[in-house]
Amino acid sequence: MAELRTEEMLLNVGPQHPSTHGVLRVVIKLDGEIIREATPVIGYLHRGTEKLSEDLQYQQIIPYFDRLDYISAMLNNHAIVNAVEKAMDIEIPERAEYLRVIVGELNRTAAHLLFVGAYLLDLGAMSPFLYVFMTRERIIELLNEISGARLTYNYMRVGGVKYDAPPGWFAKIREFIPYFKEMYQLFDDLITGNEIFISRVKGIGSYGQEEAINYGLSGIPLRSTGFKWDLRKNKSYSVYDRFDFEIPVGTNGDNYDRYYLHLLEMEQSMRIVEQAIDSIPEGPVMGKAPKILRIPAGEYYAAVEGAKGELGVYIVSDGKDKPYRMKIRRPSFVNLQIIPSLLKDQNIADFIAILGSIDIVLGEVDA
Amino acid sequence: MMFGLLKGLGVTLRQIPKKNVTLQYPDVKPDWPDRFRGVHKFYPEKCIVCNQCARVCPTSCISLSGTRGEDKKMHIETYDINFEICILCDLCTEVCPTEAIQMTDTFELAEYSRDALFKNIEWLAENGRQHDARKGKSDDQANHDAKAADKAGEQ
Repeated sequence: MAELRTEEMLLNVGPQHPSTHGVLRVVIKLDGEIIREATPVIGYLHRGTEKLSEDLQYQQIIPYFDRLDYISAMLNNHAIVNAVEKAMDIEIPERAEYLRVIVGELNRTAAHLLFVGAYLLDLGAMSPFLYVFMTRERIIELLNEISGARLTYNYMRVGGVKYDAPPGWFAKIREFIPYFKEMYQLFDDLITGNEIFISRVKGIGSYGQEEAINYGLSGIPLRSTGFKWDLRKNKSYSVYDRFDFEIPVGTNGDNYDRYYLHLLEMEQSMRIVEQAIDSIPEGPVMGKAPKILRIPAGEYYAAVEGAKGELGVYIVSDGKDKPYRMKIRRPSFVNLQIIPSLLKDQNIADFIAILGSIDIVLGEVDA
Repeated sequence: MMFGLLKGLGVTLRQIPKKNVTLQYPDVKPDWPDRFRGVHKFYPEKCIVCNQCARVCPTSCISLSGTRGEDKKMHIETYDINFEICILCDLCTEVCPTEAIQMTDTFELAEYSRDALFKNIEWLAENGRQHDARKGKSDDQANHDAKAADKAGEQ
């Protein structure tokens, strides 16, 4: 009997695939059910934000930043205004700093909630997604009330924030926090202990600390390996040094750790919000900033802890009111780099579980 | 072994008697907050043709023209917003010194042709009249007064 002829199969996952969270294509070479090679193909959502910025004044760039990581636009807002303020040495009022922290942490919670929902949906669990959206909707409504939009907030300005909180807004957050804690318990009940879920994620897609650092990972993909690195603590900006919160870290760097860190971080974010609304000072929300923003000639870099990792803005200025060159360090883009080595020699059934756990947003990958 | 699964099933059972959280759109419209940034409204009589809105627009979707009248004041003639590229960022209403351009809670922008997304001065003024009628003029006036007070406070 003649030997069976075998050959490698080339498979395109995406760009229109429900589990790639946007328009990402991954070309995988399959040997039976084992992935031998995986190459992400990016650029389907490329809008040229960096190049467009060169022709925009600094306040005009803020709405473009909303559209990078569109599920945590408040943190993107914070990244750009923080970078411009650091470069120009602008002091901003205390109340504005506190409002930035509150909306930022609420938005981080919303982004992590979406991760939990979408990840479970990737793994075939429908109901967690619905519970997650119920909770997330409350946060989106709160942010809609303060900024006037549900996703693309355009809320922060160089020198402060656009609006003060509307009447009764803080009371609504106080109402939301116990509701969130109740839902948090529910997610824990529904997902964390589920045997089917655990067998899909525990010990799968793990990498070591050294590999994570070599790939330049940040955020939860880095912290899941046990490396304690969070810009809110390590290079504190805004008023984060005034709050008491912890940076949860994982141990194995596998899918399960990355999933569970999202839950733990939401809890810490809520702790920050709780402290911030209790201690927010009175005062103006907009400081003294010149009408036309001109950054002195030179190079500047400032980063904030985005929902996905270190979100940095590098500005090269020649003293005009527009940047000469702007480079955005997008955490999703950097975190995606580990995908080829992570997927190598994995089972094809684990492909989605691994890709989903890295938590990428294509608006940010392609910029 | 199956304990985690049963716990999850308990969550589902607890949900059954609870009320629905979804909204029956389009029969029931969402109730947007005051600051909601929907499609613009425009008050031609307030506009002083300073061109600031067109200059600050990040996507250059506003085009306008005006003439100098007999009373030596500028009057608006054409005012067009291209909603194909407008990103509803609110920067135009922020710079407007006379509050001639404002945002409303209109958000349903679907059209059958791309040309229909090009809204002119009449459409924007009509949208303003409808919005004012919906919200009640007194409400809008109060909002306007509060904003004017804010601006006075800044200076």
